Amino acid sequence: MNKLAVMLASVLVGGSISAAVAADYPTKNIDLVVPFDPGGAVDATSRIIAETANTLLQGGEINVVNKSGGGGIVGQTFASRAAPDGYTLLAMTSSVVTNPQMKGASYTVEDFLPVGLYNLDPEVIVVPAGSPFKSAEEFIAAAEKEPLNIVIAGIGTSHHMSGLAIERVTEAKFNYVPTKGFGQQLQAVLGGHADGAFWPMGEASSHAESGGVRLLAIASDARDEKFADVPTFQEAGIDIPIWATFRGWSVPKGTPDDVVATLSDLLRQVYETPAYTEKMSEAGFGPVYRDAAEFRKVIDEYAKLTSVIIEENGLGK
Amino acid sequence: MDLIALGFATLFDPSVILMLILGVAAGMVVGSIPGINDNIAFAVFIPFSFAMPPEQALALMVGVYCAAAAGGAIPAIMIKVPGTASALLTAVDGNAMARRGEAGKALSIAMTSSVIGGIASSLILLVFAPALATVALRFGYVENFALAILGMSSVVGLLSGNVIKGIASGLIGLLAATVGFSLTTGFPRFTYDNVNLIEGIPFVPLLVGLFGIAAMFELLADIWQERKAGRSVSALPTIGSMRLPRDLVRRLLPVWAGSATIGNLIGMLPGAGMLMAIFLAYDQASRRFHRCFAGKPGETDWGEGAPEGIAAPESANNAVTASSMVPLLSLGIPGNSTSALFIGALAIHGMVPGPLLFTQHGDIAWMIIVAFLIANLVMWPIAFLVIKSVSRSIFAIPKEAMVGVIALLCMLGAYADGANIFNIWVALVAGAVAYAMRLANIPLGPAILGLILGPQMESSLSNSLSMSRGDWLVFIDPVNHPISAAMIALSLLLWLLPVLGHWRRSRRAGLSQEAALPAPPRP
Repeated sequence: MNKLAVMLASVLVGGSISAAVAADYPTKNIDLVVPFDPGGAVDATSRIIAETANTLLQGGEINVVNKSGGGGIVGQTFASRAAPDGYTLLAMTSSVVTNPQMKGASYTVEDFLPVGLYNLDPEVIVVPAGSPFKSAEEFIAAAEKEPLNIVIAGIGTSHHMSGLAIERVTEAKFNYVPTKGFGQQLQAVLGGHADGAFWPMGEASSHAESGGVRLLAIASDARDEKFADVPTFQEAGIDIPIWATFRGWSVPKGTPDDVVATLSDLLRQVYETPAYTEKMSEAGFGPVYRDAAEFRKVIDEYAKLTSVIIEENGLGK
Repeated sequence: MDLIALGFATLFDPSVILMLILGVAAGMVVGSIPGINDNIAFAVFIPFSFAMPPEQALALMVGVYCAAAAGGAIPAIMIKVPGTASALLTAVDGNAMARRGEAGKALSIAMTSSVIGGIASSLILLVFAPALATVALRFGYVENFALAILGMSSVVGLLSGNVIKGIASGLIGLLAATVGFSLTTGFPRFTYDNVNLIEGIPFVPLLVGLFGIAAMFELLADIWQERKAGRSVSALPTIGSMRLPRDLVRRLLPVWAGSATIGNLIGMLPGAGMLMAIFLAYDQASRRFHRCFAGKPGETDWGEGAPEGIAAPESANNAVTASSMVPLLSLGIPGNSTSALFIGALAIHGMVPGPLLFTQHGDIAWMIIVAFLIANLVMWPIAFLVIKSVSRSIFAIPKEAMVGVIALLCMLGAYADGANIFNIWVALVAGAVAYAMRLANIPLGPAILGLILGPQMESSLSNSLSMSRGDWLVFIDPVNHPISAAMIALSLLLWLLPVLGHWRRSRRAGLSQEAALPAPPRP
């Protein structure tokens, strides 16, 4: 009886402490850990967000901290072990989901609490401007006859898996050509050395706009406003509703709910700032906002899709 | 022409041109500090550039990029510690010349060569960028493999002594390059479950170790030996006169032209990089030296202070800077890892490099191009100012103190790349390995080339074969892959020439054995 009282008391005290923390959160600067080098997509978007967020945030500033290495694992591991007090945020990307399974990272996706999502980058099928394939149907039909050479960022990346997903729902066969770095992939496609590529829309859009490459289909539930004549995967007869890499914020497991709510609300306010959405769009990242619960759904969905493919194809360690 | 004028107009805003000059001065200093290079400087600077107008930020970056490639030669010549990896070969002849009491001349050759290489490539960027960009596109996986083979073949020029040791060194480099996730299979290799090795041995700390830390060990050994012998530690060379005699300029003209051409060609090919350019240029210069000057009265040996040994790598590495922007600006494909950081700087300001940059942000695109030319023009006086003021006082510091400071800077530089303690261990181990190789008389050059070209060679080979469905003949197919066939032939020639030359000499020696001439007098 006595024990129970102590436990109850400590829970109550503990609860009230964390509430007190949240009431005046933040009181110091918040580190936003970017697990990649400065200059990449995650870094650029994080800095654009921090710029606007710091005009809204009271009591502290968001500092972008680059901790790169190991394909994101170094920074992600660092964030998973940080104190769950809301002063360490992780710029969370889809690699958090696959890294434990693929590369043996020590954390799991459950070690992070989703805060909010700010960018969804749907996969697109890209062919060189001089390619004989004018539509996704022609592309798939050709791949059913003979495997097409497809440039991807690496074996086991989300782009490779999107190809494997297409192979699951159609008769198409692809010969994957793993090529590190977007620049070299671009060289292979612009130069016509490969038949096509699976790229995130964010990177493909400016090259499609300039006419160097052609987009055949987008793995999203709706067409892109800028490329209204590019059909979705489902419209083109590829039964994959959405295949998108995501970018958002998460915090270490155990962070108080109201801190998560404060941060999630901050991200929403950032999204509602016109200067922010304009800058994100210019840089090629379509701004969106999904709150913590919605973000969790996106993560779970992605985890479900990828774990099947990883298992079926014997990827990972 | 209007567009070029627009570029000039954007650049000649007082605050922008000031940033450019500031960048050149900063780059010269960053380049001349061992352990800190332009990559690290950019990684630190890009976050700051967020708050600056894009034209100022980019002008500063252009200045740093151009000058860092030149500044690396200063410590290479003065203390045989390359400030940047691109000054690796300059250290050999440059330091030998400095020890002879001609440090001023060596520095002057290095800076003049850098400026000439840089101006040549800025002019090419200004005039031919779009036309040349299409050449870069002809390079597919097959051509990239042939290019890597050509790059590896340039080690022939470095194998002056023991060929077996040179090849062993190349193999050490290639082996170390296999560490990390295999791009082809997606499985980790030699990572021993260490996440820091997943993407391969971290490259910047590795270079810092191979050049900076290894050179520290060597300086320490020097000091220790001098102390043991009871002598006082010898001072560093003084800089002295920096005048270049007219006949030396005339002699170096063909080297500058050749090396700048090599630098320009290699620079605009994505994936080749600055180090490959300096090795190829050095190889060419060494052949020319042996043909025209070796053994003549008043000439030193190659590697003992030959002016070509400084001029070739220095003009080649600065020729790479502007030409690496050719594919970046016209296509969005970075020519090397440093020019790739320009993508980040542009992205932060909501711009994407590629053809659209010229239509949507023409002022910025042309300003970057014009900035390369101006940066190289102002680099010459700034280089001399920096050498005369900063360097002169720095190199007056006692050697013992300098060893400690440089070692610390190397650690800092290694750590700064990703803010990871593991990188410091990488630098230390790499430094120890490089020093051990030096003790065993194994040249370091081939290992570096292997490290750089290994990943490219591996992935382009497997991708070429996967796309040709296993046909090895694609590499020498003169119809579909003429560039590759030509490069493979050229590589073969690089390997065969010394053998043929040796064979011819030994035959001639056999014929004229009776009438053997006395050896030419040595200086």
